[in-house]
Amino acid sequence: MKMIQSRLAFKVPEVKPAVSKEPFRIGKFEVLLDRSKCTACGLCAQVCPTYIGSAIVEYEAFKKPSGILRVTNARAMCEGLVCRKCVESCPTKALTVRINPQYLILGDKRWTADLILSTWEQAESGKPSGRYEYRVGDSGGGFDKIRFDFELEEEVSINEIFEAEDRDTSIVLNRRRDGRPEISIPIPVYSADMSFGSISLRVMVARAIAAKAWNTFTSTGEGGYPNELIPFKDHVITQVATGHFGVNAETVKRARIVCLKYAQGAKPGLGGHLLADKVTPKVAEIREVVPYISLFSPFPFHNVYSVEDHYRHVQLIKDINPKALVSVKVSTPIDVDMVAIGSYYAGANILQVDGGFGGTGAAPDIAKKNIAMPIEYAIPMVHNYLVREGVRDEMVIMASGGIRTAFDVAKIIALGADGAVIGTSELVALGCKRCGNCERGRGCPSGIATTDPALSLLIDPEWGAQRIINMYCSWKKQWNYILSKLGLSSIRELRPKNEVKFRKGRFNHLVHLDHLR
Amino acid sequence: MTMNSFERVAEGGCGVIGVASSIPIKGRFLLRPLVQTHNRGNGKGGGIAAVGLSAEQLGVSKRVLEECYLVQIAYLDSNVREDVEASFIKPFMRVEYFEKLPTLGDYRSIGLEVKPPEVWRYFLRVDEDVLKKFAEDNGMQALDPRDVEDEFIYRNSFALNRKHYSSTGLKKAFVLSHGRNMIVLKIVGYAEQVIKYYMLEDLEAHIWIGHQRYPTKGKVWHPGGSHPFIGLNDALVHNGDFANYYSITEYLRQRNIYPLFLTDTEVAALYWDLLTRIYRYPLEYAIEALAPTTERDFAMLPDEKKKIYKVIQATHIHGSPDGPWFFIIARNDVRNRVFQLIGITDTSMLRPQVFALHDGDVKIGIIASERQAIDAMLEELSKHDERIHPMADAYWYARGGSYTDGGAFIYTVDEYGGLVCTNKFGKRVAVEASTPRVEFNGGGWRPEIDEKTIKRLGPEELFKLVSKSIGDWSIREVVSLIEALEEHGMKGSEEMLKAISVLTLLIDRRYPSRVSRNRLIPLFEKAVSKILSSVPLIEANFQGRLQRVDWDSRRMLVKPSAANSVLVIDAHDFPPEGDEGVCNLLENAYRLGWRRLIAYNFIGQRNFGAGLVARDGVRIDVYGRPGDCLAAFADGPEFHVHGSVQDSVAYCFRSGRIVVYGDAGKAFEYGAKGGVAFILGDLVDRPLINAVGSATAVINGSCMDYMGESFMAAKGFIILNGIRFDGKGRLVEKETPYHGGNLLPLAAAGAVYIRDPRGTVGEDQLNGGRIESITGKDWEKILPLLRENEKLFGIRVEDLLRVNGVLRMPEEVYRKVVPVQVAALTRYERGD
Repeated sequence: MKMIQSRLAFKVPEVKPAVSKEPFRIGKFEVLLDRSKCTACGLCAQVCPTYIGSAIVEYEAFKKPSGILRVTNARAMCEGLVCRKCVESCPTKALTVRINPQYLILGDKRWTADLILSTWEQAESGKPSGRYEYRVGDSGGGFDKIRFDFELEEEVSINEIFEAEDRDTSIVLNRRRDGRPEISIPIPVYSADMSFGSISLRVMVARAIAAKAWNTFTSTGEGGYPNELIPFKDHVITQVATGHFGVNAETVKRARIVCLKYAQGAKPGLGGHLLADKVTPKVAEIREVVPYISLFSPFPFHNVYSVEDHYRHVQLIKDINPKALVSVKVSTPIDVDMVAIGSYYAGANILQVDGGFGGTGAAPDIAKKNIAMPIEYAIPMVHNYLVREGVRDEMVIMASGGIRTAFDVAKIIALGADGAVIGTSELVALGCKRCGNCERGRGCPSGIATTDPALSLLIDPEWGAQRIINMYCSWKKQWNYILSKLGLSSIRELRPKNEVKFRKGRFNHLVHLDHLR
Repeated sequence: MTMNSFERVAEGGCGVIGVASSIPIKGRFLLRPLVQTHNRGNGKGGGIAAVGLSAEQLGVSKRVLEECYLVQIAYLDSNVREDVEASFIKPFMRVEYFEKLPTLGDYRSIGLEVKPPEVWRYFLRVDEDVLKKFAEDNGMQALDPRDVEDEFIYRNSFALNRKHYSSTGLKKAFVLSHGRNMIVLKIVGYAEQVIKYYMLEDLEAHIWIGHQRYPTKGKVWHPGGSHPFIGLNDALVHNGDFANYYSITEYLRQRNIYPLFLTDTEVAALYWDLLTRIYRYPLEYAIEALAPTTERDFAMLPDEKKKIYKVIQATHIHGSPDGPWFFIIARNDVRNRVFQLIGITDTSMLRPQVFALHDGDVKIGIIASERQAIDAMLEELSKHDERIHPMADAYWYARGGSYTDGGAFIYTVDEYGGLVCTNKFGKRVAVEASTPRVEFNGGGWRPEIDEKTIKRLGPEELFKLVSKSIGDWSIREVVSLIEALEEHGMKGSEEMLKAISVLTLLIDRRYPSRVSRNRLIPLFEKAVSKILSSVPLIEANFQGRLQRVDWDSRRMLVKPSAANSVLVIDAHDFPPEGDEGVCNLLENAYRLGWRRLIAYNFIGQRNFGAGLVARDGVRIDVYGRPGDCLAAFADGPEFHVHGSVQDSVAYCFRSGRIVVYGDAGKAFEYGAKGGVAFILGDLVDRPLINAVGSATAVINGSCMDYMGESFMAAKGFIILNGIRFDGKGRLVEKETPYHGGNLLPLAAAGAVYIRDPRGTVGEDQLNGGRIESITGKDWEKILPLLRENEKLFGIRVEDLLRVNGVLRMPEEVYRKVVPVQVAALTRYERGD
């Protein structure tokens, strides 16, 4: 009953424009102007199809005495080679259009330039423009090779997505009937654990505001619980990790969910590390350590070397906070299914399975993508195992580590997860360019993964929160669309009831492209 | 890939107890310790082994018991028995006696969900002609016929298992055990249910092991996967997990050995059998092959040993289990006519394994996952045999793969009822000859400590008076004192608190006594329990100073009537953890306003005081055998634990104080933020790792290894005194305060002050640290804590500064280990 009430009380947050603060946004195309030929006739601006308040060339420019054209932010909207209207209309042939070299160097195969740009679009305006691919990357495997069957039948149109009627996308985070609260979140995602130290306090606050607006959760990571997050305590997961930085009874008691982090998919078998430069006095204070000395969290917990220790550990947290749900975060070794069932017997409510594709630039390259299993393999393995053991319905499985888009989330649910935990996408929404310079020196040039007092000013929490809210607004619409396409009324119906078994490349509305004839 | 390498049953931990005794002990004494380690298993696998049985009880002659193979076959499907007997027993064996094991009528009556197998027991020898042919066929004529017979039995059981029991196929029958004078039984359930179901309560054996398993795979569990697993005359149980299971199976496969039950414990048992029976390695070498001596410990070995160990390691490293594990092995060493109980710890000491020795007329050696299980067992035994005390003479951990003890201890029971405990190197563990156990019934009540004296003197003075004269008291006199104190305690609340204080000092402090300590302490503890149990149960509007709450009255908890009211918590009937546990009760009591608490009668309950945020002068006294995670995440309170504590104590401790009048277990104060800890005795491994802030500890004993790893507490430090008390209550210096190869490794801040006047700790024991001499400033920093230590434990600072009877300067006695700043950790890409 309580669960239903909270769902009724929740109102989907509004999309408000949150424009990028970068002086020039990166677009896929750029129009080059040969000034010697330009006569400032203005024809190009008139023919530009994206000219609604902004254009490739701002009409105002013609009034300027200098007669020089000013290229504006709106160039990110350029349709480029497909359109070429300006080029063709120019009487003096002063314009040429080409692919922006910045676009060419942006991103990587998993996080393609398109995905980054479309995430930025969604963060700005709450919907993708359709100009960029917003569903899959280009890794040549995993989610990028899996489609929903309806995607293959016809083109997915943005308008259709945004006209889809509302569907139930909520999930419940406790199904054990263990007397602990049955917390429900309206979208099947919450935000990943990133510590104060790995990211700035302003970014943490931005994520917390967004989590509150969406009535879901964000996490402290292992760097302690800054006081600035206390107003959001109902939406903040306290993480207990091997270094126990800033973890104490108060932070454990404050939380509605406590996450025991055993391992991280980006670097299984390695502890956390925060290099000296990022251990600023403020970070050192909250972690109660000496500034500017590198910090290491051990691997593993030195009091948990076996499953019965794990049981003891979970029970300890449950005893300290009798109302909290316990989430167990593990990476994906080849026996992740055993780990999952072990956590079930230990009494965990949520199992967060962290695949190998997550992690910021701080995770060592040698570890990232090389040790842990991809999440799209691990989830069916865990799901199938728990189904066979007859306990799947009691455990909540959250997938993380390489889940980038609304479609990724839907796919992982169709593969057996209950929901997903989102880290990198939120940072991209804040303006992350995936440059990978997270841990060195002062940290992130965009002011995200930094603890530098000056750099972190680049992120305004309210603005950042709005961008994350906008992204989830866009995702929510996409889930509505997917569910309506599949004829499902709730995202909980998307999760398979039985074992995941691909037959001829098909399972539960999913199609693997490699199996298509 | 065959199925063997993939379809593995995953498991990790388990609750284990093993006991060896100079007199045969009954199965019923295992019940309580096994029940008290339920939370280390999950009721999906339980097993026991018993070695050194009674011929009379089994209904055979002594000769049959000693010479015949005692084969026990579990029939999951009773229809296959005829077939099994016809194809594996009748054609080859001469059966001297056989029977079906009696069982309870209904397995459900003791809470079992899966019907345990029907077990038949056969005493048999291999037919001589069969054996002769077998030897010829296999080229074994040169071997001792008994060894050939062993091998025949072994192979026959393997063939039986392969035909009738496979983990992925049919499960109809399998051999539980086939050694001489030993049995193994296992079921899907808890281990004590084995004893109940097969009615072994009165079965007597010299050695028992019990195992609570925590299997995680398989919706339907089978008894075959439970521990113990067998070699020939060995039964092995295991706690932990191997990372290199595949490597070991591969190693075994190269030697034509194929596991059938697909758990890492089985491969351990097969490997052990290979080493000891086939290769005939002496125990020392077999243990070295399992848990190799490495790093500094290897360097510390004598050259002779280095040479041999190097060869062993080169040959067997691929069969050596890697990861957290420990084994308990019960065996019948038929060659030497002794029974043995062996405990082996992995090289990194990752699993808890406590050893204990009870000396005296009855000698008992116990190995368990938790100290409280040992005490539970001894307490049960002591109730039925007055020669046994409810406390062992010594408790210790093994330092895995070390040059000091080799990480293994062996209890050997000989046929004359003697029991000795030796370490891997064969060095005998001697319990300090404290005081003769003979009781003097002469003498009488000491006149100087009469009722009037008790009334007149304060607790400290009374204790001083008693401790001065208790040196020549007999047990009778001690009992009279206890009776006088108990009587005094019944007179009123102030009198009661005084009596408890005196008894507590008698428990906490070390002093010379004629009656041995393991006899005295249980008496004092019992007296404390008795007095506390006389405190009236809680009720509203009660005016007395002390009130008591127990399991039945837990919901009646009310506010204290006055600020100095004392709440007495009887922990005995509380569950080991969970919402109805003692942790929650304490939290509620604190919220209601209780600031002074005494908790007693612990039998392993965990998480007491966990997460208690109480920064307003709360004092909590703890008596009994508290379990793991005591005071974890506590913030503010002052704990006084009158006895030893187990693992993960003061985990993430934030502020306040914890005083332990005994030893502490593994990972003490892991991730602590602050507060001060005082430990009278020793620590095991990994104390104060990842501690930050102002975490500070004074340890009077020593620590095995990994102390202060990644220590980051700029305002904190550790004092390690490296002392102990001898049987006469005198302060004695340990051989060295620190044996391990890792002291304050990879630390960023803080310091360890070691009392090491002989300079026994060297730079080779550090990893990223430096040894310095202490300065006046350092002494100023540690002196107040040593003074406090003196107040708590009676260890005088002057005595600490005395070396060979001569008072020295602090800088001659104490040295300090500090972290060196590693350039790579501080100047990363900053260019300076």
